[in-house]
Amino acid sequence: MTVHDPVCGMELEPQSAFAKREHMGQTFYFCSQSCVDQFDKDPHHYVMTSATTGFNPQATLTRIELPVSGMPLKEHSTHLESTLRAVDGVDEVKANVSTGRLEIQYDAQKVDVARLVGTVKSGGFQVGGTKVRIGIENLRCASCVKFIEDELNATQGVLNATVNIATQEATVDYLPQNTTLSELNKAIETWGYKPRPGTSDAPVDKQEDAHAREYRKLMNKFWFAAAISVFVMITAYYQVMPILSDWSMDSLRLLWGVTALLALPVMFWSGSDFFTGAWAAFQHRSANMNTLIALGTGAAWLYSTFAILFPSVFPEGTSEPFFDVVTVVIALVVLGQALELRAKGQSSSAIKKLLGLQAKTARVIRDGKEMDLPVEEVLVGDVIQVRPGEKVPVDGVIVEGSSSVDESMLTGESIPASKKVGDEVIGATINKTGAFKFRATKVGKDTALAQIVKMVQDAQDSKAPIARLADTVSGYFVPIVMILAVWTFVIWFVVGPQPQFVYALVTSVTVLIIACPCALGLATPMSLMVGIGKGAENGILIRSGEALQTARAIQIVVLDKTGTITKGKPELTDVILSDQSIAKDDELLRLASSVEKVSEHPLAQAIVEGAQARKLTLAEVKDFEAIPGHGVSAKVENKHLLIGNLKLMNREKIVLGSLEEKSKSLADDGKTPMFIALDGKAAGIIAVADTVKEDSAEAIKSLQDLGIEVVMITGDNRRTAEAIARKVGVTRVLAEVLPEDKAKNVQQLQAEGKKVAMVGDGINDAPALAQANVGLAIGTGTDVAIEASDITLIKGSLKGVVTAIEVSRATMKNIYQNLVGAFFYNVLGLPVAMGLLFPFFGVLLSPLIAGAAMAFSSVTVVGNANRLRGFKPRFSVK
Amino acid sequence: MSDLQIFVILSGIVLTVLIAWYFWFAPKAQTLATVSASGAQEVAVTVKGGYTPDVIVVQKGRPVRFTFTRQESAACSERVLFPDFNKSAALPEGEQVTLEFTPDQPGEYGFQCQMGMLRGKLIVE
Repeated sequence: MTVHDPVCGMELEPQSAFAKREHMGQTFYFCSQSCVDQFDKDPHHYVMTSATTGFNPQATLTRIELPVSGMPLKEHSTHLESTLRAVDGVDEVKANVSTGRLEIQYDAQKVDVARLVGTVKSGGFQVGGTKVRIGIENLRCASCVKFIEDELNATQGVLNATVNIATQEATVDYLPQNTTLSELNKAIETWGYKPRPGTSDAPVDKQEDAHAREYRKLMNKFWFAAAISVFVMITAYYQVMPILSDWSMDSLRLLWGVTALLALPVMFWSGSDFFTGAWAAFQHRSANMNTLIALGTGAAWLYSTFAILFPSVFPEGTSEPFFDVVTVVIALVVLGQALELRAKGQSSSAIKKLLGLQAKTARVIRDGKEMDLPVEEVLVGDVIQVRPGEKVPVDGVIVEGSSSVDESMLTGESIPASKKVGDEVIGATINKTGAFKFRATKVGKDTALAQIVKMVQDAQDSKAPIARLADTVSGYFVPIVMILAVWTFVIWFVVGPQPQFVYALVTSVTVLIIACPCALGLATPMSLMVGIGKGAENGILIRSGEALQTARAIQIVVLDKTGTITKGKPELTDVILSDQSIAKDDELLRLASSVEKVSEHPLAQAIVEGAQARKLTLAEVKDFEAIPGHGVSAKVENKHLLIGNLKLMNREKIVLGSLEEKSKSLADDGKTPMFIALDGKAAGIIAVADTVKEDSAEAIKSLQDLGIEVVMITGDNRRTAEAIARKVGVTRVLAEVLPEDKAKNVQQLQAEGKKVAMVGDGINDAPALAQANVGLAIGTGTDVAIEASDITLIKGSLKGVVTAIEVSRATMKNIYQNLVGAFFYNVLGLPVAMGLLFPFFGVLLSPLIAGAAMAFSSVTVVGNANRLRGFKPRFSVK
Repeated sequence: MSDLQIFVILSGIVLTVLIAWYFWFAPKAQTLATVSASGAQEVAVTVKGGYTPDVIVVQKGRPVRFTFTRQESAACSERVLFPDFNKSAALPEGEQVTLEFTPDQPGEYGFQCQMGMLRGKLIVE
């Protein structure tokens, strides 16, 4: 058995320990005098260490509750229970199907939580819990990593802890109900380290951290290489240097020897990534940019060193080295990488903006106590208090109070939504007026916002089909460049001018260095990332690069009528009085809506809302009777009221006069008219209709301006459909289409040889959305996970379709620019580097210029992609 | 033409053949995924200048669990992508990152870093 030195943490055998101390009933072993001294200064400190681990030798059995997910616990609970019972040290297991928790009693001396979690995970389950990242300051020694890990793992409620020395961070999975962040920080402090406030777990922040570190590292490497390069350049151009030009060849050779040695740290520190990367690639039988740089600079260094060591081997005047190529090229390429990294950071700003919407803390009420918790620690079922002006931290349902909530960041709806008990609230929205309490239903990665972020990120990493071309090319690119370099050397050596060897070597090194596979590889993903991010900023979630690419070439947009062009909800549109009416129109509406308030018909609600909008007070209703297929009859304020269709009026023998004509013209306009009779006489007509969204006509006009044919599809009768179509300026209408035939209609349009986009609500229209080349689902706010769609418009307006197509066109244009640029760079650069211009113009490319060109070609690609960030859609959403 | 020139030409031919053979035609070593107790096929991949192992053979219809560990700071390899499965993951330096999905169709699928400098192949049988 081994023990740990409590001071330095070293693992040692008790019998071989340097010293031993007894304190408060515990025995401590030490590796060295200094550790003993340290212990003796404050022995109590080290006893505290184990006290915080939560390990109590008296209580043999520990109980833990693990929330599990990933599989239905109900079906697999027996199997999971028996698997866990088979683990040595586990005493009792109970799966609570309704809460989705496993209750385990175990012997903490025989088995630890990590092992239990591992067993649960190997059964295919996931263990719920919170993940937190804690920075650890000045973590230098690799051995301390293990002790901090052990300490954290021994803390109550910790499922798994790992310490990453490279990022100086501990990542801890823990159960927030069993421990808190401050307990974890304490565990780190017991080893004498200072925890930093946990850097955000947000992938973007983490990536930014990593980028900032990498940037500093690259810049250090660059400055070092640059400083050496200045010295090397002076020795390389000795002829024009004041003092050096008088030196003898022998002393110069000695100076070059020094530069040869100075170039080594440049190669193996500043340029270490090229050499390790090249070697790793070589072992994988692949080659990349690293291979080219390593080969180019390596060859230059070897030749130069050989030339100064054995000058006699080379013809007169050819034994001069070019170490400048080695150092300057490495300096430039490293600088290029640093600049590229900087530019890349800007490309991911869209995700950062989305994540910035997230609240940082939540005021959770647990056991009657209010406490401020980091939003990551909020559990499903927690009740959370939100005050006016605060952000809603997670998704949930209001249980107490009411308020109006600004959801514009997610739905684009500028008017705050009023919320009462039982209504859903969405995380990241802002509470305006009242205070309320809500129960969390979705936390962490399940919230609407988190899902949006995840979707955008996945899409940013997906591939546009156009990238496959670049991929195929770059798969062959580097070996081809190597072969080109070989033949450049051979041709220059065989038919080139004197000194052949030097010309051959310089040109082949230039070929290796100028080739830039990176620019090709970067061309698509960078633009895609910015373009999809730009879409997200405008409320358009593009699911993949493929969708983005296809959207560019759309020729026909098929719009579903209900809910897409129209609001999908009937509204009161007209109140028409008969020639000799007994009542004014407000009065008629008031009476009618009083009756309709009792009715359950969907059209009735539109009438009631219409009356409420005019601030009419409704009257009491007696003898209400619904006449199926006809309408309703009732008594209001001692008047007998009939509301219904023509059939009802005919049955009751009511003379309609001119009203019948008027009702026909209303129906022609796509409205639904209802006759009203007061005490047996025709009083008027109330019409309701599914009204067109305010901006539909404008959006359709813009689509047509983009050269896209707009088609409307609906299950409604042709008359209603054409009335709506006229209003919004659509000429081609597919009416009376059964829901199940919508996909077939899309297919028929495709058969015309056109690329078709379908816009629908994602639920009824799923088959048609899937059939279309691009399916756009109109969601409202939270329905981000609309599976059938390629693009989701979270802001519910048809203008999103225009913006989606604009984003797609702008992004694809940018990608073409990048690809063409990168392609031409290589196609033009390589022949020049090979010396193709030499026979005609005597021009030869210097390897130094080649290095600069290569370094900045990829920066240019990233820069061009970043230009997309300035893209402004025709319809700004803000 | 001097002997040296002939020698250089012949060396050029030999080198060309060698490069083409080594990078394109030579068979690559394949790694079979191990099947864990839960039935998932597990593969641990180290990311450092490349993916080790880089040619991975799995069975179709069974979940595959990749565990990536990135042991370098170069930003190039910070994400790994499986474009055919629409899966990707950020790989913070030094951290184990798991990525899980079930390939249903047999075939060869590439995986790579964002700009395609590092590449691997997933063979589904």
